Amino acid sequence: MTTLDDDRLAALFGRAGEAFDIPVTGPEDILERAAGRTTPDADADAEADAELTPSGLDQDDDAPQPQGRVRRLAGRAGRHRMLSVAACVVVLVALAGTVGALVRGPARPTLTAVARHGSLPAPGTPTTVPAFSSRGLATPDEKAAAPHAGAAPGAASGTTSTTTPENAQNNVAFGANQPPKIEQTGSLTLTVGRGKLSRTVTQLTALAGTYGGFVANSQTQSGAGPSGSVTLQVPVQNFATVLARAEALGKTSDVTTKATDVTGQYVDLQARITALEASRQQYLTIMAKATTVGDVLAVQEQIDSIQSQIEQLQGQLQLLTSQTSYSALAVTLGERAPAPAPGPLPESGLVRAWHTSIGGFVAGVEGLVRIAGPLLFALLLLGVALAGGRALWRRYQRHNL
Amino acid sequence: MEQELADWLEDGYVASFRTACLILGNRADAEEAVQDAYLRAWRFRDSLSAVPSIRPWLYRVVVNACYSKLRREIPHRDRRAGDEPLHHVPAPGADPETSAAQGEVAETVLAALQQLPLSLRVPVVLRYYADLSERDIALAIGRRPGTVKSRLHEARRRLAADPALCALAGAGEGPRSGEAGS
Repeated sequence: MTTLDDDRLAALFGRAGEAFDIPVTGPEDILERAAGRTTPDADADAEADAELTPSGLDQDDDAPQPQGRVRRLAGRAGRHRMLSVAACVVVLVALAGTVGALVRGPARPTLTAVARHGSLPAPGTPTTVPAFSSRGLATPDEKAAAPHAGAAPGAASGTTSTTTPENAQNNVAFGANQPPKIEQTGSLTLTVGRGKLSRTVTQLTALAGTYGGFVANSQTQSGAGPSGSVTLQVPVQNFATVLARAEALGKTSDVTTKATDVTGQYVDLQARITALEASRQQYLTIMAKATTVGDVLAVQEQIDSIQSQIEQLQGQLQLLTSQTSYSALAVTLGERAPAPAPGPLPESGLVRAWHTSIGGFVAGVEGLVRIAGPLLFALLLLGVALAGGRALWRRYQRHNL
Repeated sequence: MEQELADWLEDGYVASFRTACLILGNRADAEEAVQDAYLRAWRFRDSLSAVPSIRPWLYRVVVNACYSKLRREIPHRDRRAGDEPLHHVPAPGADPETSAAQGEVAETVLAALQQLPLSLRVPVVLRYYADLSERDIALAIGRRPGTVKSRLHEARRRLAADPALCALAGAGEGPRSGEAGS
């Protein structure tokens, strides 16, 4: 077999190279075009055009066709694939964040209703109502809608606060002189120290009295796990203060406040009472003119019926007034769980040493397993960073040529 | 500096084109790769003052263009017209017998080169066609001279195992007459 030395290889390669005929479009055309594209006027397009030029020989050099912007961008994206992928990832993450924020954002339905009562705006006149939010009365708009319903300040974990637009379709068009009626309730779960349950109940009672309220309900249970519940009725304007003071009496685990707008219901009751009173007055006028016993009895029966309805509605109105004047705060109390009973005394001697040794071994294995994940992740990140850096460095070197 | 680069590019066009042909295996891709390399070299002509030698720098640009061609375009397309491995046109007035022999040599060398991986094919073409020194090849492909030396050794070993190439070499080749070194 013939040995392939350097001279023979060079000769073979030289003859093989000579077999390729030189293209008609020689270096002059390329240089002329490159020099023409890098004039000051066309310097901005030179880079993009040069990137797209590998397929440029398919075009007529004398009449180069204009490159489209989309094609230039596609060419750039093709050449800078890593940057394109990174840009796509960033855009996707931003889109996902935006969509997530929009999905989780508070719903702020703006309600529009039509007045139904004579003293209210004419039918068909739309009235915009302050937006109610499922997040409570935290926003200025919502505070304007319900100034008496202060949200619970400094809520601990698990705090929720809601405003229910109950009967919103009916009550949204109340008169300008009618202040909003907000029925507010709340609940609070407190954990107090051992043996402090009774004292906390006393403190809650004193707290209600201090702020013009009272204890509507109180209940305690003794035993292994003492617990209790206290329902306070406090004036609406003091609700937030009482809630904050109550939270300070122990460890708060759950706070819930709920504000219900009952203005519409209130106005509705008032209007119905007014209408019934007007009817009663009419019947009284008729009865004054009655001449026979039969007429008097018939009119009296109607008046009694109307009077009954008026009293019933007035009772509802008073209840509503009471509910909107006083807020109910239900406090659930519990004592801290007792410390676990001490276990059996450890064995002494070899048995204890053996158990200690086993425990140490298990702890060591757990530690290894615990650090394996982060270590693997760190190694993975390091590998990716090194690979990326190497690729960028090679690309940088190549582009500098 | 621009004129100097233009002179270099004009003088080295034939060698660059045929080097790309041997690396890529067909003239259509080589033509595009060299054009891309020349445009790129012209675009980055300002960095020319920082390079110690213009010749390996120019070959580096050509080799990078060939790499780009192989990595990005050729694997993703179907074979097209003009992609034949060898588009041989006899020189005017050439003897038909000489022309046929030259084509046979080219086909055999190309077939042997295509059997080599790219990491070996590029150094061996730069060494034995472009006549670059090992140091210049190292500059051209961005590797250390020791790496180039070992790759050339491995490439020679594999080429020597090619029976067709050995037979061609044994048939008695004359001294090379190409202008690669220009």
